Amino acid sequence: MRGLDQLRLLWTLSLRSLYSHWFKSLIVGSIMAFGTFLVVLGTAFIDTIERAMAQSITASLAGHLQIYSAKAKDELALYGGQFMGSEDIGRIDDFSQLQAALQDVPGIKAVVPMGIDMATISSPGELERALGSLRTAIRQEQPSLIPALKSQVREILTQMKAEQERSESITDDKEKLKETIALLAGVITDEFWAAFDADPLGKLEFLDTKVAPLAEEGKLIYFRYLGTDLPHFQENFDRFQIVSGEMVPPNQRGFMFNNKFYEEWVKNVCAKNIDTLAKSIFDKGETIEGSATLQALVRQTARQYRRITYHLDAPESAALEAELKKLLPEVQGGLPELLQGFLTFTDQNFKERHTFFYERIAPLIDLYDVHIGDTISITAFTRSGFLKAVNVKLYGTFTFKGLDKSDLAGDHSLMDILTFRELYGLMSEDKKQELAAIKGEVGVKDVAADAAEEALFGEASDAAPVEVKRPASFDEFAGLDLTQERERMKALQAAGFKQDDIDHGLALNAAVVLEQPEQMWSDKTAIEAALKKAGLDLKVVDWQSAAGLVGQFILVIKGVLYIAIFIIFLVALVIINNSMIMATMERVTEIGTMRAIGAQRTMVLAMFLVETTVLGFLAGTGGAAFASLVVKLLATNGVPAPSPELVFLFGGPRLFPELAASNLLLGAVIIVFVSLASTFYPAFLAAQIQPVVAMGQKE
Amino acid sequence: MKRVWSGLVLTAGLSLQATMALAATQEEVDAIVKELDERQRNSGDYKALCYIEQKEKDKNDLVYQAVYYRRDDDDKFMILFLKPKSEAGKGYLRLDKNLFMYDPTVGKWERRTERERLLGTDSRRGDFDESRLHEEYNTTWVGEEKLGKFAVHHLKLKAKPGEDVAYPLVELWVDKATNNMLKRQDYALSERLMRTTYYPKWKKVYSESKKAEVYYPEEIRFFDEVEKGNRTTVVISEVDLHPLDPNLFTKAWLESKSR
Repeated sequence: MRGLDQLRLLWTLSLRSLYSHWFKSLIVGSIMAFGTFLVVLGTAFIDTIERAMAQSITASLAGHLQIYSAKAKDELALYGGQFMGSEDIGRIDDFSQLQAALQDVPGIKAVVPMGIDMATISSPGELERALGSLRTAIRQEQPSLIPALKSQVREILTQMKAEQERSESITDDKEKLKETIALLAGVITDEFWAAFDADPLGKLEFLDTKVAPLAEEGKLIYFRYLGTDLPHFQENFDRFQIVSGEMVPPNQRGFMFNNKFYEEWVKNVCAKNIDTLAKSIFDKGETIEGSATLQALVRQTARQYRRITYHLDAPESAALEAELKKLLPEVQGGLPELLQGFLTFTDQNFKERHTFFYERIAPLIDLYDVHIGDTISITAFTRSGFLKAVNVKLYGTFTFKGLDKSDLAGDHSLMDILTFRELYGLMSEDKKQELAAIKGEVGVKDVAADAAEEALFGEASDAAPVEVKRPASFDEFAGLDLTQERERMKALQAAGFKQDDIDHGLALNAAVVLEQPEQMWSDKTAIEAALKKAGLDLKVVDWQSAAGLVGQFILVIKGVLYIAIFIIFLVALVIINNSMIMATMERVTEIGTMRAIGAQRTMVLAMFLVETTVLGFLAGTGGAAFASLVVKLLATNGVPAPSPELVFLFGGPRLFPELAASNLLLGAVIIVFVSLASTFYPAFLAAQIQPVVAMGQKE
Repeated sequence: MKRVWSGLVLTAGLSLQATMALAATQEEVDAIVKELDERQRNSGDYKALCYIEQKEKDKNDLVYQAVYYRRDDDDKFMILFLKPKSEAGKGYLRLDKNLFMYDPTVGKWERRTERERLLGTDSRRGDFDESRLHEEYNTTWVGEEKLGKFAVHHLKLKAKPGEDVAYPLVELWVDKATNNMLKRQDYALSERLMRTTYYPKWKKVYSESKKAEVYYPEEIRFFDEVEKGNRTTVVISEVDLHPLDPNLFTKAWLESKSR
């Protein structure tokens, strides 16, 4: 009973003191409330982002754990690390050994082989593309395609001539321009095209070598891709979603573009710019008038009108010109001028022209440099050092659900793992021997750069030319068969493969998808033990480490938040401490009197501690309640991701923050700690006050 | 004191005389470069078998065997890779000012620039083709120098406007005694040194079509100055000046070799 009375007394005294020093209590309480608000709201946000990012990473590319070589020179960074995709993470020479080692480990849903690398596809300019298609049609004897392609080539050449003529006023070298115009005039005549069928390949070579260099150059598209067991990947990464086309059939070689990459890098530049404008205007509510970026994009789009005109044959050009004349009666000139006028968008005309573009123009042009269903040539430098190109069918495009706007999630395209192995191209023993044999034939001595001049032009050297007797003709093809590699690749493309081929071969890393992700750390330990038992020199990392810099980003955000919280509470601690010391000085008489009438030192100490704890409790409750309210309000509609990078961190276009008991608990623990820590010293000082001194001071 | 002054005047006079004797006129400089081109040119066809060895830091050594063909009168050039098996059938074809690359494994041609590193090696098309230094560059004389034991002319070349060359700035060291090019340095437009090449061994062979000798470097050593440590060695083992198939410099011919 005595204890309860004492507690009641302390409670009354602390309330009375807080009330009598209400201004100081308000200031200190506000700082405490703000700190608690920040702790609760901040940790709720961070926890939600961490969960969302975990979903983004584990369900799209990483799985819950990743396994790769323990001898790796660099760390695995699925989304790119400091080496921008050229990390050396070693390799798993035989994936089936890893499968066998893990087959008895409980809790594993799937182990998916992977390999990430960079490759390129080349995309020629419009004239070269049209000439290439015409050559293919002629060679493959597809007469139905030839007239339209001839018409398209002729139309491009006509437009090139018109452009050269328009450039007369700005060209210094009039003579060269005259020659160019004469050349182009020659290849658009009826005579040239009448004679075309008699020697189509000869005419094409003429166009290829004399005219095509005058046209715009093509481009090389660099991309990052993931080679994997595609059916297993689709089955175990539930964010994977096909956007267009179809999944690569099981046991077939094939390629799928990430839809974001396909739309941004493979799409016709006019269409891509129109899409960007549409997103900014329709989705974000921006205006062309109010945005210098959009204005620049409009100017760039208008300059790119050839990306439309070069796709049209003569009848299509005429039909589009007629339609555009109706739409833009004020524009003088032919199709180029009309298209430039059409592509000069304003806020007023954009909606109408966006519709017109997709309804009337898009069906006439190649919207993409490569189409779904095409066989594309992918080129990469192999690990053996040789350049390797493979033909592979583009089956479709895909995205990761909710992450379609994320640049990070849109970075990787997908390929079957057998094609990946071809492009990865390890140096085989056979090849090593073959190269050694070639080297042996030459027997050339290696010379390092810094010793070259002495070695090559020293005293023993002789620069005088050696006369060679008139050589006999040599047969460079004797004993050689140059068709082997081509035939091998053709056979590989035609033949399917078996699951065994996927399993018994190279992978760079493997994703482990767990039955129960919350048991990740214990599963990781079990997997490490199983790998050790099987004698495999592999290491296991969690999804956050495997993600590379992206995975570390959450740690950076956490660090910033905790530093901010630390600073706020440090300030609070100092202010509370000072306030309490001042309050102690002001209350010397009061404390002295209390001590004189029998209050023990512990009583004084407790009085101060309870006073601050009560203030902390009240402020903390207020701050936490306000933070809970804010979280609830934000969770109603979600917080929109302001940039594509944040779409990935938010796990989608919006983040729906959730409040957990742990966030409130953390807020409570911190506020109690700060309250007690800041009061302990003033309370100790107060407890040292002697009644006699206090009385004396009064007198 | 008088003797010291006399000595100085004499030394200065001799130095001036020596400098005047050494300085080459523009005509002489042009003649050196023209001679370099002319002695390597064959008015008829030209075929050579070569080996290319590429060494790169921390990578496997790569070796190729290739055959290259020239028809100097028509400015036509082709290089066809023969070994190893994985590279066999790949090739480059130069027609007029166009350079195309063919890869039989995908059956496709691609247009390439003069800066293309042939199959990723440090060599360029121009290293194998007819020498056109006088046609493509303007030359100035730098001075006389020693390169190892050889006395050489040091020349500076700058690409003529509109010429599509791999390197816009070049320096040459030409042996005074034999007029063979011994060293070449290639620079980017920014004057950054990109590559140093040595030509330590030259051979000459009589050409019926030219009615004169055709010179060729038996060994060429390229040192990458950007990626230090990377180097490529080319050895030309055989040269054949007999007429080539009239249809050889066509895409169809190159394709047919790997079909």
